[in-house]
Amino acid sequence: MAELTVFSYRPGGSIIHTLDVRFKLILLVLLSLASMNAHFQTLAVLSLAAVGCLINTRQPFRSLLIELRYFLILLSFIFVARAITISATPFEQTGLLSFTRQGLYGGVMVCWRLLLIVLFGLSFISTTRTSAIKSAVEWFLKPVPFVAEKKVATMLSLLIRFVPVILDQARKTAEAQKARGVENRKNPIYRLKMLGIPVLRRIFENAENLITALEARCFSEKRTGPELSATPKDWFVLLITGIFCAVIVLWQRLWLM
Amino acid sequence: MNDIIQIQDLSHRFADGTLGIDGITLNVREASFVVLAGANGSGKTTLLRHLNGLLLPTAGTVKIDGVSVKKDLRRARQLVGMMFQDADSQIVGETVSADIAFGPENLCFKRTEIEKRVKHALISVGLSDIAEQRPHLLSGGEKRRLAIAGILAMDPKVIVFDEPFASLDYTGVKQVLKNIVRLHRSGRTILVATHDLEKVIAHADRLILMKNAKIARDGAPETILGDAEQFDVRRPCNYRPGVKMRSWLS
Repeated sequence: MAELTVFSYRPGGSIIHTLDVRFKLILLVLLSLASMNAHFQTLAVLSLAAVGCLINTRQPFRSLLIELRYFLILLSFIFVARAITISATPFEQTGLLSFTRQGLYGGVMVCWRLLLIVLFGLSFISTTRTSAIKSAVEWFLKPVPFVAEKKVATMLSLLIRFVPVILDQARKTAEAQKARGVENRKNPIYRLKMLGIPVLRRIFENAENLITALEARCFSEKRTGPELSATPKDWFVLLITGIFCAVIVLWQRLWLM
Repeated sequence: MNDIIQIQDLSHRFADGTLGIDGITLNVREASFVVLAGANGSGKTTLLRHLNGLLLPTAGTVKIDGVSVKKDLRRARQLVGMMFQDADSQIVGETVSADIAFGPENLCFKRTEIEKRVKHALISVGLSDIAEQRPHLLSGGEKRRLAIAGILAMDPKVIVFDEPFASLDYTGVKQVLKNIVRLHRSGRTILVATHDLEKVIAHADRLILMKNAKIARDGAPETILGDAEQFDVRRPCNYRPGVKMRSWLS
């Protein structure tokens, strides 16, 4: 069975847990934008905010590091790519590759920003139910013309619901093929084909069954919608975060550029 | 008691020309417990899917509580709850309670009414303690109970179970069977499609044997159980002519 990861909702009573999901989405966007515009000093301040969020939401740091390991490897590639592609006076030459001080600084900045956005995203995901995210998406899309917001929101929630099922199906298929010695075949394309075809076939069969189940339970776009309510606390947190992000951006623009 | 299900000369031909069911006429009394048995491909699932309009007849009519299914699909789907063989693909919510709320939300009930129905359904199937659990982490038996809760929240008069015991362990079978029996005692009409009579037949008041898209035998279980193996259905181990079958729950 697919296991719970840190990138899933964890019940709790933190401040972030109790905020209205629409406000949380706006806060996430604000903090991500501020991170994208920040440099060393301002990133350090935002990092304190990110760590504060993680502590407030009681994230298990060990599991977090394990879950983020592939992302950290990706960041290391991004770092190397940035470090060797920014042209300036090289201070270190290794074979054909030359590292510049500006390149290293640029690499650190990009990786730091991406890491911060992921950490803010984690604080959001782990404190928000998927149904609440679905409700917020529906609410935000309502004024957008030509977009069937209920359909989009339902599709989103079904996608999130079925990701673990699809992963579980892929794992079972891979195990069944291992049992029949697929590992003796060294051609990765052959192995990918032999895994992909049955998994995809099963996904389409499941999708067919899902449609039947939705019909049997009277699914239509005309249905009871979500109940979202903003409290003064939500507005207060939004105001504080807005001011914080504005200060970060202005500090960056006026004093540090 | 009235006939809650009235089927007249029902036939269904699939797009590839295969005959799924052929000229079936069947009435089911309200609050009865009917077991539909037959080998794979005998037409059980095809017949059941006509009861809430998931399949529409090629010929003939299906009426639920006096109204044609074809004329009012929404009504038929509210009155006839269906539990599918693969519970995993029936569960659409990201938590247990969200899944139960899905049906009542589709019926456009008010939020307070939805919450009331979810709470009641959770208690009925004994899943209150894991209301916020994610469905894919549940055991096979719990998933089936969740599927039952999702149906219960829509308050149907008829509940149809398609192979409810498939791939369940002994505990899972007993849990699901207990829920089916309780639903029957609450006055609901129960239809169970299975090729495994052993687990459920002690509770049924009617047995229908199907073969080659037709009804081959129809009557009280004790009178036709002896013929079961003629129609590729295994007779229960503890079957003795004239002796009442023992329940798996006793």
